[in-house]
Amino acid sequence: MLSQSLVLARKLWPSWTDSRVERQLVRPPELLYAVEESPPPTVLVASAVQHVAVIAITLIFPLILGAEAGLNRLQFIDLVSLSMLAIGVSTILLCLRSAFIGCGYLCPACYTAIFLGPSLFALQHGGLPLVFGMTIVSGLVQVVIAPILRRLRALMPSEIAGLVIAIVGLALAALGVRYMLGITAQETVEPSYLVVSALSLAAMSALNVWGKGYPKMFCVLIGMAVGYIASAALGVLDFSSAMPPDGLPILRLPHLDHIGYRFDPIVLAPFIVAAFASTLRVMGDVTNCQRLNDKDWVRPNFGSLAGGVAGNGLATIFCGLAGTLGPNSYSSCIGLSAATGVTSRVIGYAVGIMYILLALVPAAAVLFAAMPKPVMGAALFFTAAFVFTSGMQMITARMLDARKTLVIGFSFAMAVMADVYQNVFMLAPAVLQPIVSNSLVLGTVCAVTLNLIMRLGIRQRVTLKLRQGENKREAIERLLSTQGARWAARREVINRAIFGAVQVVEVIGDPAGGAEIEASFDEYNLDLLIRYAGAPLLIPEKRPTRREILASDEGERLLAGYLLRQSADRIAARAIGNRAEIYLHYDH
Amino acid sequence: MRNDGLSITHSHVGPVCVVTLDGRIDSTNADDLMVHLKGLIDAGEKNVLVDLGAVLYLTSAAFRVLLVATDEAERNAARLALCSVIGQVRELFEMGGLVDAFTILGSREEALAQLD
Repeated sequence: MLSQSLVLARKLWPSWTDSRVERQLVRPPELLYAVEESPPPTVLVASAVQHVAVIAITLIFPLILGAEAGLNRLQFIDLVSLSMLAIGVSTILLCLRSAFIGCGYLCPACYTAIFLGPSLFALQHGGLPLVFGMTIVSGLVQVVIAPILRRLRALMPSEIAGLVIAIVGLALAALGVRYMLGITAQETVEPSYLVVSALSLAAMSALNVWGKGYPKMFCVLIGMAVGYIASAALGVLDFSSAMPPDGLPILRLPHLDHIGYRFDPIVLAPFIVAAFASTLRVMGDVTNCQRLNDKDWVRPNFGSLAGGVAGNGLATIFCGLAGTLGPNSYSSCIGLSAATGVTSRVIGYAVGIMYILLALVPAAAVLFAAMPKPVMGAALFFTAAFVFTSGMQMITARMLDARKTLVIGFSFAMAVMADVYQNVFMLAPAVLQPIVSNSLVLGTVCAVTLNLIMRLGIRQRVTLKLRQGENKREAIERLLSTQGARWAARREVINRAIFGAVQVVEVIGDPAGGAEIEASFDEYNLDLLIRYAGAPLLIPEKRPTRREILASDEGERLLAGYLLRQSADRIAARAIGNRAEIYLHYDH
Repeated sequence: MRNDGLSITHSHVGPVCVVTLDGRIDSTNADDLMVHLKGLIDAGEKNVLVDLGAVLYLTSAAFRVLLVATDEAERNAARLALCSVIGQVRELFEMGGLVDAFTILGSREEALAQLD
């Protein structure tokens, strides 16, 4: 039964049960504690507390949701406590090292602006139950996406991921300004809010630019503390408004009164976009973790990426069930572990447990629940700058040709237009409303559609005939090196393809009539098709033993097939009459 | 010696005979490598260190030669170790599950320090 399940899992989730041998990590010397190492208790606790503090800043997103939903005091405390519980569970799910769930690295979770926009959109359409229901749906989408990550790369390349992040940053900044100035429905401004937010934002910015060490690392937290003090001085801070009417117990199990679940396809599009954006961020963060822990890192390990995305998907489902916003992996925590050189996975578990325990302490929730709006606004506006610029960096990380320039330019403009000409877009047919009424969705849908259209005809192909008796290795190296440079293909991928083709040709020898190699390339794929007269290549799943390799040429051929299977991202061999074909695929 | 894509040179550092390979190793030059390594072992070298730092890739034929040479060294009460197994070459060793089939000793300096 178990073996049948594994066979089914292998078919359904090829990237999880990848037959390629997992690389052994080469520990970078600068790390104090690598992913598999356990630091002593003092280092463990101190590191975990730092991560808890950094993550705490992102509790602002559920707070905004609670403020917009108009929750009462007790419900607000419950929301904050449950958000702490959910972020603890999410962190553990993301860090787990198991066959299907978790990336296996210190990759803590946080709340994110990515889910805030869609959640506020759902809040308008159907209240909190719709937010929580659709968050669950978004988590399910991520769980479904996880096994097919490789195939989705063409759909969501890094520049489109960057565009999504940049649009999120813009939306965040707009919301931040509203909170900073206390802009009301009548478009009036609250002067005391302006003073508080200006002081808070100035503290955050100054510490970030001129600070060093911990003040720089915790600039947002310190800036928020400055905002709390200024709010208290100006009468904006009111802890009593956040206190439960019947006092504050030391420990309290959060209640689930505000939780309900609704589903509505009208708000599905923003949550699907959020699921994709969240997936891309997990991929970026987990890749960063992999690089951090492997001196010889060459390319992402998709098993770990898929586990991370599945973990984030389950975490999102849990957050929806627990009545809070969707989570995401947190780049700042990975930056923190890089800065401190402590990347032990066990710290992730400690962070998770700490948050689960904090969820039972209502005083911690009150501290956050009483956060004045101008302080929230300052933190939002500050983080928006980083979100926006990191999106821009992702957009420009690869060279932008005419095709990409149009995809990004048109889509970014459309996203802005959705907000500028909101009234005009409301005239669109009802069926298009889920797309055109939300800047994030409109921008993303535009980008994905234009990208697919503009990818038409970009695949390039070249064929090489290998004659009997010629030096085939030189011909293969010349062809792939020259074409690789023309195609601007990554050298590492070209080198793997050269090895693959040379290894195939070595095994097939010098067949009558020679052989033919067809190489085709687009931005994401390099494919080789090698045709020759003879029997198809054996591609064993198991490595031949040392004795087999040494005993005969057949053992060497089995090793060749095994090496080809391991080095290519996909491989297939077949016979066509008295000829044979071998197909090698390399992700680019 | 440079022959068909592979340069093979050797020098002595103390008691260690360092064989430096530069290029790619496949079926067209694997026999040359075998002859070279076997010649050193037959000549009585007891510590042979093969530096793969400048090798671009190696195919199954090369792996077989290295395995045969390792066995040959053991039969002659000698040691054959590899060093500078990095980048794509290291990946190939790992992909082939052959890391444990050889004595792999880090950089040339580290290897010499261990073999000295």
